[in-house]
Amino acid sequence: MATPDVARVNGSSHRTDWHDRYYHVDQVLDRPGPRTDPSFMAGAGVKEFLRTQCKILVIGAGGLGCEILANLALSGFKDIHVIDMDTIDISNLNRQFLFRPKDVGKPKALVAAEYIMKRVPGVTVTPYFGKIQDKDDDYYMQFNLVICGLDSVEARRWINATLVNLVDPENPESLKPLIDGGTEGFKGQARVILPTVTSCYECSLDMLNKPTAFPICTIANTPRLPEHCIEWASVLEWPRVQGEKKMDTDDPEHIQWLYNIASARAKEFKIEGVTWQLTQGVVKNIIPAIASTNAIIAASCCNEAFKIATSSAAYLNNYFMLIGTDGVYSYTFEHEKRDDCPVCGGESLEVSVPRSWTVERLIEMLVEKQDIQIKKPSLSSGAKHIYFQAPKQLEEATRPNLEKPLVDLVPDGGDITVTASSLPFSLSLRVTYV
Amino acid sequence: MSFSESQDIEGATTAIQSQPDNKTRRYDRQLRLWAASGQTALEQARVLLISASALSTSTLKNLVLPGVGHFTILDSALTTPADIGNNFFLDPDASLGRHRADEAVRLLLELNEGVEGVADTSDIESVLAQGPSYFSAFTLVIAVNLPQSIIERLSPLLWDIPTGPPLIVVRSAGFLAEFFIQFHDHDVIESHSETAPSLRVDKPFPELLNHALQLDLKNMDPTDHGHIPYVVILVRALEDWKREHGAPPSTYAEKRAFKESVMKMQRHQDEENFEEAAANAYRAYTSSTIPSSVQALFDTLPPPDTPLDGQRHFSILLSALRAFTSEPPHVLPLSATLPDMKSDTENYVALQNIYRRRADEERAVFRQLVRDAGGADIPAEVVDLFCKNAHAIAGLKGARWGDLDTDREKLVSRLQTAPREMATHIALSALSAWLSLNPITQTHANGNANASAQNAASLAPPLPTAEALLAIVQGVVGIDVELGKEVHDAVGEAYVSPHSAWRSTHHLHDSARAPTADLPNVAAFMGGLIAQEAIKMITKQYVPVNGHCVIDLVDTWTGIIA
Ligand SMILES: [Zn+2]
Repeated sequence: MATPDVARVNGSSHRTDWHDRYYHVDQVLDRPGPRTDPSFMAGAGVKEFLRTQCKILVIGAGGLGCEILANLALSGFKDIHVIDMDTIDISNLNRQFLFRPKDVGKPKALVAAEYIMKRVPGVTVTPYFGKIQDKDDDYYMQFNLVICGLDSVEARRWINATLVNLVDPENPESLKPLIDGGTEGFKGQARVILPTVTSCYECSLDMLNKPTAFPICTIANTPRLPEHCIEWASVLEWPRVQGEKKMDTDDPEHIQWLYNIASARAKEFKIEGVTWQLTQGVVKNIIPAIASTNAIIAASCCNEAFKIATSSAAYLNNYFMLIGTDGVYSYTFEHEKRDDCPVCGGESLEVSVPRSWTVERLIEMLVEKQDIQIKKPSLSSGAKHIYFQAPKQLEEATRPNLEKPLVDLVPDGGDITVTASSLPFSLSLRVTYV
Repeated sequence: MSFSESQDIEGATTAIQSQPDNKTRRYDRQLRLWAASGQTALEQARVLLISASALSTSTLKNLVLPGVGHFTILDSALTTPADIGNNFFLDPDASLGRHRADEAVRLLLELNEGVEGVADTSDIESVLAQGPSYFSAFTLVIAVNLPQSIIERLSPLLWDIPTGPPLIVVRSAGFLAEFFIQFHDHDVIESHSETAPSLRVDKPFPELLNHALQLDLKNMDPTDHGHIPYVVILVRALEDWKREHGAPPSTYAEKRAFKESVMKMQRHQDEENFEEAAANAYRAYTSSTIPSSVQALFDTLPPPDTPLDGQRHFSILLSALRAFTSEPPHVLPLSATLPDMKSDTENYVALQNIYRRRADEERAVFRQLVRDAGGADIPAEVVDLFCKNAHAIAGLKGARWGDLDTDREKLVSRLQTAPREMATHIALSALSAWLSLNPITQTHANGNANASAQNAASLAPPLPTAEALLAIVQGVVGIDVELGKEVHDAVGEAYVSPHSAWRSTHHLHDSARAPTADLPNVAAFMGGLIAQEAIKMITKQYVPVNGHCVIDLVDTWTGIIA
């Protein structure tokens, strides 16, 4: 059996780089293009860095992650780490191409890493089955680049803030380019974030689609859509009937129960359209996902990683958006940094609120406002505690403040510091009253 | 996600569903995009991929995963060390020296046991010699980086099969790429447009108008008053306005005054339905007409009363739609789908039923018009689907591959209107032409795993120079066309930095930099794009590209040459 030059020898990466292994990639590493930056060192130096020194972290081994890992490995990255806290579900198999039916239930990071190493010799993929929050600054410090293929806004905000906090102006190595991808159906986006230099993830929070939230009074009293009936089942009926039992949206019996309850309510109100699929979609907040869109966005992320690691071409500045529903439409633009970004901006966010607002009303705004979206915020002003979600004693001590007018606690032009346990940063607000 | 209007309440709510089967669960995330009908089309499709390069297998991966019915890879080449280096669907332990079509099919089939895949290791020349029969067995043909001379024979062959498969021609070199879909006609009933159909606030049908006029706003119970759906508020406000002013608001000042009149109807600040009505006031003074895209489709039809026997179903449906809109009030059939609005269950469901009854009536009229137009044999569900999606239908008239390159006038004009896109296209065309004359066969890389680097270098073929490619371009657009200046002028300072030469030369340099490089990331990017287009062509849902789509992954943009 013919085997590529010493590919079976498991040793240094040089020994697995059979002749012509990088026939394609080397064409762009051996010669500059007309738009290539003059600092590009064509040839051996750049290949050496890419293939023996560059260490890259992939966050997420799902729809984007599988694609990202394969692309990086084929591009010549040899030291790849991957973090994912999920296990494989049958609904992943329509796009997460490193997984098979026999893998259902196993950790994504482990299965993906093993598959890549089997298919692309000489590449080391180090998996971690767990949360990004388990890792500390020293861990993130070891990488040259980070690519994110996540579906969670919270996790992205966390890694973004962590990498911005990591930047030490005295140490250029501490600036870790963050490449972030995301998809929904036929649409997606890829972006390059240079922490503290370019606009960060938090800067663009207002670009996210507003999550559909149904007012509780609609759900409770005036349902009109099948979605309202499903929300009634999951938000109101589940806790009422099931008590302390935690709802598991991955458990088909739980979905069945919600579906039955929602169907009965829909029948009562003569509302049509409650189905199993819709019930599952609403309670799990399912976003449609296909292999092809993930391929485009993951490729775009990896192309930027490759360009940054090799300087073979300029990298994206800084946002690429693609819409494939009507032809192929894309938009490449520079998203601007926000001076009042709580993560990278440094300036307080100005908010003006009616004098009549209570602390509770302000908290409601912090949860809902598109460019803030802080769930369970704790508030303080200088040394004064306004409201704290935890610990329990502090929560109880500050709870009476919820009903007080904000103006009694914070003067006009005063500052409020907002924190939340899920976010590794604080938001400072400057309040004026109208 | 919206409810199906034809569903019967009893049926929908008494037939309790249980957890879907494994197949539905596996495809759940895509069924939410193209539903069971799209999935069926995909599972019945037969796709031919010509070449088993990295770009080809990247494309196929994205068709095998969602469950395409059948694919064939036509490729006679043997796997080289370079192939294994950039193609995820070749096996470093087993594929070297074997037919790469066989190997790629084997590894692709591991992704989905429901898909059938075949490797054809015949030479493309011998297949072309067989004529059209080989190709007409496929739903779609995708040709990746084939020599110009082969494409020049393949594309007319497919074009001349009356119901022949569309052809996607893909080219790439280094960071640059493009594709073109050759088809005669492509009709889309389910475009999944995000533009909502008209609610006809400005042209209310009798039952809606009566409903709005009958409301006793003054003496209404406060709870009911706060639950009047905004559509009803607007119909009423507009009627009152017309009574007073004679005509709907048209000037900016009138529109503002109208909006204020709506807000004046609000009794308390907490009546959110009136705020919603004010926010939707534009619906009252935006005329419900035929969307220009639909009107443009009418213009492609023969004059009314021309017999349509033997015409495509889409033309018959379109003709019936034109007949429908020729009657007052000159609008499209009403949609039964009502968006959510501030209201209570009773008022909302009542309004929904008013819309539904009217939509049913208009659908019945439309069905009759379809029969009158000669469409008695069109399946009822297709007629209804067309009626429901009338505001967003699309009918694309395609072109033959290569037409752009022989139309010198268009080339020159597009160089001005879409300079960077055109520059990329002509660069890739010139490269393709150059490679046809100077094939780089990778003989230095082919099969001989033990060849030393020196040996390989000595066998390396000459690379195309910018000058050589530029000469080809000049030959295509005409020696009299001053490319550089026109491109430079059109692109302007915003794009070309002052110290760089004109754009096209740049692209040519790029091509020359990596004339045969099938970069893994570019292959994956293109594989995603081509698969999206293939799915749109196959399912006839969403709207595919019509024209050349060019991709530049140096500066990370895509563009269309229409
Ligand atoms: Zn920021």
